[in-house]
Parts: sequence; C-alpha cells; structure tokens
Amino acid sequence: MTEAMPIKKVLIANRGEIAVRVMRSCREMGLRTVAVYSDVDRGALHVSYADEAYRLGPGPATESYLRGDLILDFARRSGADAIHPGYGFLSENAAFVEACEAAGVIFIGPPASSMRALGSKTKARQAADAAQMPRVPGSVTGLANIDEALRVAREIGYPVMLKAAAGGGGKGMRAVATEAELPTAYTAAGSEAERSFGSGEVYLEKLIERPRHIEVQVMADMHGRCLYLGERECSVQRRHQKVIEEAPSAVVGEVLRRRMGEAAVRLALSASYVNAGTVEFLVDSQENFYFLEMNTRLQVEHPVTELITGLDLVQMQLRVAMGEPLGLCQEDVQLRGHAIECRIYAEDPENNFMPSPGRITRLERPSGPGVREDSGIYEGWTVPLDYDPMLSKLVCYGATRAAAIDRMLRALDEYVVGGIRTNIALFRRILLDEDFRAARLDTGYLERLLLVPSIEEEDRVPEDVVALAAALLASTGRRDEVRNGMGRTDLPESRWAATGRREGLRA
Amino acid sequence: MNLKTIWIETDGKRRRVELPEDTQGAIECLVDGVALSADVHTAAAGEISLIVAGRQWHCLLDGDAIVINGRRYGFAVDDPRSLRGRAGAAGGATGPRSIKAPMPGRVVRVLVNEGDEVAEHQGVVIIEAMKMQNELKSPRAGRIARVAVAVDATVDSGEVLVVVE
Repeated sequence: MTEAMPIKKVLIANRGEIAVRVMRSCREMGLRTVAVYSDVDRGALHVSYADEAYRLGPGPATESYLRGDLILDFARRSGADAIHPGYGFLSENAAFVEACEAAGVIFIGPPASSMRALGSKTKARQAADAAQMPRVPGSVTGLANIDEALRVAREIGYPVMLKAAAGGGGKGMRAVATEAELPTAYTAAGSEAERSFGSGEVYLEKLIERPRHIEVQVMADMHGRCLYLGERECSVQRRHQKVIEEAPSAVVGEVLRRRMGEAAVRLALSASYVNAGTVEFLVDSQENFYFLEMNTRLQVEHPVTELITGLDLVQMQLRVAMGEPLGLCQEDVQLRGHAIECRIYAEDPENNFMPSPGRITRLERPSGPGVREDSGIYEGWTVPLDYDPMLSKLVCYGATRAAAIDRMLRALDEYVVGGIRTNIALFRRILLDEDFRAARLDTGYLERLLLVPSIEEEDRVPEDVVALAAALLASTGRRDEVRNGMGRTDLPESRWAATGRREGLRA
Repeated sequence: MNLKTIWIETDGKRRRVELPEDTQGAIECLVDGVALSADVHTAAAGEISLIVAGRQWHCLLDGDAIVINGRRYGFAVDDPRSLRGRAGAAGGATGPRSIKAPMPGRVVRVLVNEGDEVAEHQGVVIIEAMKMQNELKSPRAGRIARVAVAVDATVDSGEVLVVVE
C-alpha cells in the first residue's frame, strides 16, 4: 500500500525549455501541471504543454516571472500543492520560499534557511570552512572598504579576483593583477554588483591560474540522507557563462570523485540541505579542488548527469518534496558512459554574439540514437527579446567521450534553426578542436580559441553546387512561399545592402 | 532549350547560373558556362534534395543563406537592373549615413541629441535584447541630423535609429 501522494498538481514558475522539462516528469508521475506566462509568452511551448495556464503580466520579468505574489495567488486558485521554480527567476529567492511556506504550498527545493545559509557567496564560504572544505584563499566576509581590500590582497598575494557576494553570471567580477589596479577595480565591481544584484558587497579571492570548473550534483531527502551523483565539467565558458557541459569530467578519477563528492555532501548536510543542489569547485592542474559556491536549485546542465546515472533528477526532486526517502544509497549510484550538452542560443557567433530574437521560420530537430533535445521552441514561434537567449539544450550520450563528441557533431549537422541566427556553428568548431578533443580544458579555453580566426572546414560543399542550389531555391522559393502563405516573400538582399546594414555596428 | 539566367553572389563571387523553366527532376543547367546534370526533388517550400554526379545534397533556404549539411552559405540574388543605382546608394565617407538597429530590441539609452557633433566610432544609441546591451557607434564623424527613436522604444531589425551627416 502506498499512502496518498501529498502532491497532485504542480505549478511551474518558469518558462522555456526548463518548464517543459519539469512538466514532462510531472506527467510521467500522473501529476497535473499549471503553467504561468507573460504576454509575450502566450504562444510559448510551455503554455501549450500544460494542463492549466495563467497570465502573469507584461513581458519584462519584473512584471511577470518574478511576481512571486501573483504566482502564489495562481497556485491557490488552481489548487496546486507545489511550485517548481526551475532555474533563474525565483529559484534562489529565500523570501519567496518563505512566502510559499507561509501559504502552505510546497516549494520544490531547499528550505529558506538552507538557501540563506548557502545562497550568498560570503555566507557559503563560512559554511565551507565549518564543513572543512578546501576553498580558494581570500575573505569570508564582504570587504568594508578599499583599505581592507588592499590588506587582504597583500595577504593572499596577487593576482586576485574581486567578486560580488550576491553575484552570478560573471557580473561584479574583476581579475586584478597588481595592487595599482585594485582601487579602480574595487569601485567598478562594487557599483556593478549594486546595479545587478541590489547589493554592492564584494569579496576577494586568490586567482587560481587556468582552473577547470567542475561541479558535483547532490540530492538530499528530508530524512538526513544526501547523495552525490557524480560531477560535471563546465570549463568551456564564455564571459563566465557555461557553453558546453559534460559528465563525467575527463580528469576526475574515482579517488578525486569520492573526495569532492564527500566534501559536497558534508557542506549540504551542515546546512540541513534538502532537494537538488550543485556544489561548484575550481580544480587546478595538480588536482587540488577549491570550493567556489553552491547553487541551491536544479541546474541548466542537469541532463548530462541524468544520462550517465540513469536517474530522473526532476522526478527525484518531486519525490523528495513529497517527503519520500531517497530510494537508493551511494553505492547504487553508478556512472556509465559519457554525456555532452551544448547550449543552443539565439545569438550570432560571426557577429560578436549579437542576440538574435525573432521568428523561427524553419526547424529541423536532431534525433536518432543517443540524442536528447530539451527545447522550448517550435517552428513558427517568435523568440521574444525579453529573456535569456537559450533556445534549447542538445545533449548526446555515448559509451566514451570520443563517441559522445562524434555523436554531437552528427546531431549538430542535423539541427537547422531558420529565420534567426544561432551558435550551432560555434559548437562544431569547438568539438573539432584538438585541445577540446584531448580534454585540455580550463575556464579560459574558449576565449583563447575565439581569438584565433576560424579555419575553413575541409568538407565544404563545392562552389558550383552552392550556386546551383541557391539559384534553384531562389527561383522556386518565391513562388512556393507565396502559394503557401508563409509571408516571407523577400529574396535575400545583396551583400551591398547587408554590408551597409552592418556598418553602423563596426567598432 | 530555353534557359533563364540567375546571378548569384556567394563567397564574394558572382556566379552565372542558367536553369531550364522546369526545375524538377533531371535537369541540364550551366554554372558559369559549364554544363551540369542534376536531379532535383522539392520536398517542401525552400527545401530540396539535389543529386549531382551521385552526391546527394539536402539544401534548405533560410533568409539570406542556404543550409547544406548543417553549414550556412550566405548568398544574394543579383538583379542586374538594380546595379546602376547602387554605387550612389552605398554612400561614401561624406553623405548622410543612417545607424540602423542590427537586431530587434529595446532602446535603453540615447547618447546624442540632434545637432551634436560626433566622432567616428562614438556611441550613439544603446539597444538591449535578451539581457544583452549593445552600443551602436557612428560610422563616421559628423553632425547628428536626426534622432529617430526615444528611450524605451521597441525597434525592429533594420530600423533607422540615428542619421549622421
């Protein structure tokens, strides 16, 4: 006999691919789903996937997906027992978690107290010290003034890194090589942090040279058990934003995995953590690992962990939130094969990564063996300009790292997103790069690769075939598109006009 | 056989392609005067399968490019009749120049007023889309003849923001 499930209906307080991802697990578990949406997302995929849907407000996130009060209102009105926050938006907002607790709605994530203990970077560093975790040398409290900054920097030695306590996504971060640069950087980081996060608190860390970014997935139940579910390597970054993630890391062996995993679990348990969380580390070339921060939510890159562990993390999150004990122990967690994820963005790598919102006029999705696409888009949809440019996550699985890379290259060739520009070509370049294939990675890898002009690929289509295909499509395209009422009757403009259009941009 | 001529600009070159009226199935055509046998199957609007000498190419039309095997090849159809007008329209270093929105977005700041003198590469407008801000710069030194947008305006790709003369 199983007791009645305390959750029957889940409101997903998010949009895009992650909202769809969460709803999929809900459906598999027989749970009803409630979507919320902004005006520009009425036609979004997550709305049409849900059983119920409620309008929040205008496009800007502050008037829609960040309106915790409205979201709780709709949870009550729809009779949802629980709220899944996804990532971003309200997912790490302790005040919202408290509001859920007060309203008697289950927040699918950690309790507000754990979130507060681990959410701020300076607090998390104190917790890491208490849990005896190695961390990057530096301050554990916010810097009071520039004199303190200068003193701390002298103690730990240059180069140093200034970071916002409330930070994320690379905002409020400054690398400082010498003492002379510190005063200016201190002021700049503080004001950027103030603007971005509403708190100007910054702290100092020693700069680790050429580190890898490796993180450990943890999952804790309400009964004091916490497991680590292997690591993810996220060293391929641009402007501190992850671009490619993989699991496992090519440089983490069994011993290091256990040491990092046990440290991560220690930290989580010390803060009475419940539900899914990620402990991020920097790892240097000598396999020393340093605690970086903890993300108290489901991560964008969780699918790579799912593919190599065979677990459904969202389903585990839901079961933990219902009060069930974790149904497995640490020895049951076995890693098998290799998984890679590419974050497909609406941005143009050939034009300084300019965002490219707009209508998707054509969509050919990759499929076949070992391919998973977590997507929030469809053909004919207009990608709004109000949110993050992530369109989907393409995830490939293979028996080995090399097999996963080759499979990803094949899947990328199948992936066509028309009407807007995407970064798909960038991934092809990275996956063919010798250093990436040899797993010679660190967090500066991609920025260095982008400094080198892209070399023409060998298997280009012959020029006469390109010209013939262009002529065929141009001569028939116009007639067909008019006949099919597709609206796009304009033929490509000449280079002259295109160049003129771009000229206002050149730096 | 009656062939129609289409000029295609691709990869910096102008190519002359001559096609028969009916472009379905087995066709004989000329690319820069060289004869080519091909077989064309149209799967959908803007989507063809092209077989040339046994090699099969799946080709998709996407705006100003075709996509073959996942690679984009930018192209333009050259209309000889409009060539004459272009030299003047392209503009030199002296004529008025428009600064246009490179993408749809929201204007977050306008950095100049009408009548201001600006230097080459000086920022004039900041547009935001998808949480990214982009500063658009003046292509030349001159005087701001017109500011066509205000803060908070939503603009489309290609819309004129500022004119410098």
